[in-house]
Amino acid sequence: MNARIKDLIITNFLAIMAGIILSGVVLIFLGVNPVAVFGEALKTMLADKYTFGDVFLKATPLIFTALAFAFTFKANLFNIGAQGQFYMGAIVAAAVSLKLDGVLPNFLLLIIVCILTLIAGGIIGGLIGYLKSRYNANEFLVSMMSTYVVLALMNYLLRTFLKEAKGEYPQTDALTRAAWIPTLLSGTRLHMGFILAVVVAAGVWILLYKTSLGYRIRAVGSNTLASEMSGINSKKVYITAFFMSGALAGLAGFTEVNGVQHMLIQDFNTGIGSAGLGIAILANANPIGIIFAAILFGALNVMGNLMGRMPGVNIPSSIIELMQGFVMIFVIISYFVRFYLENRREKRKIKKVVAQ
Amino acid sequence: MIISLLSRALMMSTPLLYGSLAEVIAERSGMMVTAIEGIFLMGAWGGFVGGYLTGNAAVGILMAMFCGLVIASIYGCITIFMKQHQVVTGTALNILAAGFCTYFQRVLFGVPTTPLKITPLANIPIPLLSDIPVLGSILFNQNFLTYIVYLLIPVVYIALYKTSVGLTIRATGENPEAVDVAGIHVSKVRFMVVLFAGIMGGLAGAFYSVGYLGMFTANIIGGRGWIAFAICFLGNWNPKGAVIGTLVFGFTEAISIYMQSIGGGGYFPNEFFIALPYLLTIILTVARKNFNVPAKLGIPYSKEN
Repeated sequence: MNARIKDLIITNFLAIMAGIILSGVVLIFLGVNPVAVFGEALKTMLADKYTFGDVFLKATPLIFTALAFAFTFKANLFNIGAQGQFYMGAIVAAAVSLKLDGVLPNFLLLIIVCILTLIAGGIIGGLIGYLKSRYNANEFLVSMMSTYVVLALMNYLLRTFLKEAKGEYPQTDALTRAAWIPTLLSGTRLHMGFILAVVVAAGVWILLYKTSLGYRIRAVGSNTLASEMSGINSKKVYITAFFMSGALAGLAGFTEVNGVQHMLIQDFNTGIGSAGLGIAILANANPIGIIFAAILFGALNVMGNLMGRMPGVNIPSSIIELMQGFVMIFVIISYFVRFYLENRREKRKIKKVVAQ
Repeated sequence: MIISLLSRALMMSTPLLYGSLAEVIAERSGMMVTAIEGIFLMGAWGGFVGGYLTGNAAVGILMAMFCGLVIASIYGCITIFMKQHQVVTGTALNILAAGFCTYFQRVLFGVPTTPLKITPLANIPIPLLSDIPVLGSILFNQNFLTYIVYLLIPVVYIALYKTSVGLTIRATGENPEAVDVAGIHVSKVRFMVVLFAGIMGGLAGAFYSVGYLGMFTANIIGGRGWIAFAICFLGNWNPKGAVIGTLVFGFTEAISIYMQSIGGGGYFPNEFFIALPYLLTIILTVARKNFNVPAKLGIPYSKEN
């Protein structure tokens, strides 16, 4: 095997293990035996069909938000606002589904909602890209702030126009089954959205590596000046990349509202934007790698939830964020380790050549 | 009413000033401290825990500074010595900090039936000065942390522009090779600056828990670390700009809180005022034309070898 790929697999594996072990150490503070708890959670996750399905269920929106970050990252742009674009998608998904519920057949409705969420997220993203290309606004800041603005908009709508008929909580009415994404595996919550996510990830890979648009995006990312000299309109690329990125994040809103929650609730899935970023980094922004990294994060999520429900141990659900945070930190460090190993190999090679 | 609004504005500006001044110094050396949100949060948590367990706000503030320092040193190690991406590392640390605080809050206090409270820092009217009409009650009837910030502004300005340390810091951000050739360790300068930013960020966090609310919640910071980060950009990497930017934001936030308390006057929904500081950031980011970005901002320095 190629030494580089071997490094990649070994260091990533060690990084993930280190993250999990450190989370285990943290559990000791609660007076819990981490090995027993982790073992129990892992056993339940693998043995129970419903829980196992949840791993992929949780991975689905993360694939989208990770792709969203990766897409702009390839153009050396930062879309930190996937959370907001996701919320925008979720708002549109809930509003449109409620409006069309019962009017259209399931399949047609889902396609329309899917396209509209894509556009909704894309518009937010495209707006950021436009501000970047037209006014040279710092996209990092604008996208970061856009999340808070969309969040306020969502809270406002949930309090007024989209509020449930009962008028009790800030949430929408529940969608009827006609607007649900069909289940993929009976006996689980896993829905077709996961297939959509995998297909989209493959599509993004093709788009980035096999089309001229993808080439332009990557060219702008690796050297803006050189790509402009060769006639690429970098401003156009900014807008396109950001539109696509926002659209990808918006799709997460579709799968979460129509596939999982079946309504729009205040403050749901608050961490998927930043977790998406972590996943994109874990996978080195490779769309195919993102699928696997998202499944890993999904598994961490499910295990965290299982631990929280275990009788007698009382583990808070914030253990999920801790696990994800630790894993991310160690994965980042593993980049450094790989760089170091690679460097050492090169040096040895040169020494050998010189010695001859 | 105006006086209390302005006094409130100044109060809300205090943590942003700590954060943005720290960020200005750090970014002048080429380091974006993207972990600032996490540093704020850890500061808020550390401050609360220290204050609650000992009953002494001073211990809380020290604890907050220490927590900020810890996050900053991890951030510094990874971004400076391991040369990893600053935005990415910061995001990871922000997630970690959020998990850490809520987790250990639970470890320490379980699930309390009533919210845990400490007494927020009292306002200390400064004798004589606080008697000045209007200005006195705005400027000199604040808490301890705000007074520190008054001192900090000139100190940071002078340190950055009038001392050799400041020159070194600025040169590190513009031309690290030259700094290296002059025999100064680039990484060391950057690391020190990041540690300093960590301490200041910790203080900023402490302001929210110890200085103002007297409690800790998971969303106590709610993006204000990022606003401090944004102010540094908008203030053109200049302490003066940071002060002006902070006051604008502090005032917006005070108006926002005031308008929410009177129900938006019936014309605007509360959410609009909640979003106001963030909208303002976007508008200002778009409106700013000439940025004076430190040349090596966000770029790790490595010697040719």
